[in-house]
Amino acid sequence: MRPKRILVPLHRDEVAPRFDLAGEALIADVDPGESGFTAEEYLLPQASAEGLCDLVLRKDVDVVVCGGIEEEYYHYLRWKRVEVLDNVAGNAREAIARFAAGRLKSGEILFDRGAGHAR
Amino acid sequence: MPIPPEILASIDLPGVLDGLPLGVAVLDPEGRVITVNSALERLTGISREEARGVPCRHVIRSGLCFRRCPAEGGADTDIVNRNRARIPVRLSAVPVRDALGRELYRLDIVEDLSALREMERRLEEPGGVGGLVGKSPAMERILRLLPAMAQADAPVCVIGETGSGKDSVAEAIHKLSPRSREPFVRVGCGPTPPQTLEAELFGRRAASGEIVPGALQRAGAGTVYLSDVGDLPEELQVRLVRLLDEGVAVPAGGSAPLRCQARVLASSGASPEELTRLGRLRQDLAYRLGALRVDLPPLRERPEDIEFLLAHFLEVFAAKFRKDVRSFTPKARRLLLAHDYPGNVRELRNIVEFAVMVCTKPAIPPACLPAHLLGLLGQGGEE
Repeated sequence: MRPKRILVPLHRDEVAPRFDLAGEALIADVDPGESGFTAEEYLLPQASAEGLCDLVLRKDVDVVVCGGIEEEYYHYLRWKRVEVLDNVAGNAREAIARFAAGRLKSGEILFDRGAGHAR
Repeated sequence: MPIPPEILASIDLPGVLDGLPLGVAVLDPEGRVITVNSALERLTGISREEARGVPCRHVIRSGLCFRRCPAEGGADTDIVNRNRARIPVRLSAVPVRDALGRELYRLDIVEDLSALREMERRLEEPGGVGGLVGKSPAMERILRLLPAMAQADAPVCVIGETGSGKDSVAEAIHKLSPRSREPFVRVGCGPTPPQTLEAELFGRRAASGEIVPGALQRAGAGTVYLSDVGDLPEELQVRLVRLLDEGVAVPAGGSAPLRCQARVLASSGASPEELTRLGRLRQDLAYRLGALRVDLPPLRERPEDIEFLLAHFLEVFAAKFRKDVRSFTPKARRLLLAHDYPGNVRELRNIVEFAVMVCTKPAIPPACLPAHLLGLLGQGGEE
């Protein structure tokens, strides 16, 4: 299977809770089944859903892993044949690792519910 | 007078929170969700079990949280919920302290402002009611009737040719009704296998025994809109009659009836009498659906609206495409007024959208009108 390119909108080191308000993104190339991956951070001039969609297309991204995303951007990305796993909450690199292991789906909450990494 | 501790301890706090009309999240001092009430579950689409222990910014997902913490002061902002809808909200935070002033919990309070924003938007619209505009006596009469129809619970049947605005009328009735905060679910009764339509409308019982909700369950206390009701298969019409009479629906493959609170609106290209005569609509259903009825006149029968709608859509699309297009040239206007619009308002809207999109001048010349229209009117593209 060919490697997949994943984009995760970032808020600090987490999957950004909102696609439209993320000012940075992490792009990783993942070989399905492999645990390791290379990732690069991208800084957007300003937080914007259009800017992120543009980055997704420019970088030939296959999969977007994000938190909340509005219907119009979701359908736009799907129309561009980009897979979107939304409503994911947790650490961005952990989300990518789980995707690589074939264990990430929409709506996944990756936070350790007991530990304190809230603020 | 302070509440005695034994009374405080006996209060059913989750029950109190669930009774509140506002969304409430109870947070620990670290900002993790302890619980949310049912109003917030509905607003965010995230259940209290899923939310428990998750940082609040991943549950409420407000725009404010990206700028500063709501604990520093509330503000009007928006959220994006699990169903991918952006909802305007007012977010405020209330600290819960002990007798020594230590913060034990924080309550984040989320008020849905959709209805308020919708009202503001409606008041700014030229037509005033939903997305409907019209200055002809026939349309003004309908626009006067809709608010009264919206207050009732009886089914409404909207009748009109294609493109005359049946869907907009149904949406306007829902938005003007006390059910406007609840979902509006549309079901197209057009060519669909009866089993699919049955499951889509009444829900179905899965092999696991679980009920997969249909439109009637998804709408909750909102509105279900059946477009092209004359295409509904007869066996489903019988079940719809039972729903309208008894307020219950049996999901496909199930036996236990489920109570439905949704209001039913329907639309059709032909009148219920005509559909009954053609054998496409059961008489008993026709009587029930025809309790309240809106007959939308075709555009050719209200020519006084054509000019008004041309100006209205010109303004709408000029703003949408950010173009400085302000009018039609006299010849283009004459051509547009001469057309009889078999596709009604939808056709007129599409013509204006196309013209504004291609026009590079302040006034739209005939050359910017769609070629098929010029062909129909026997005109070339020259001014």
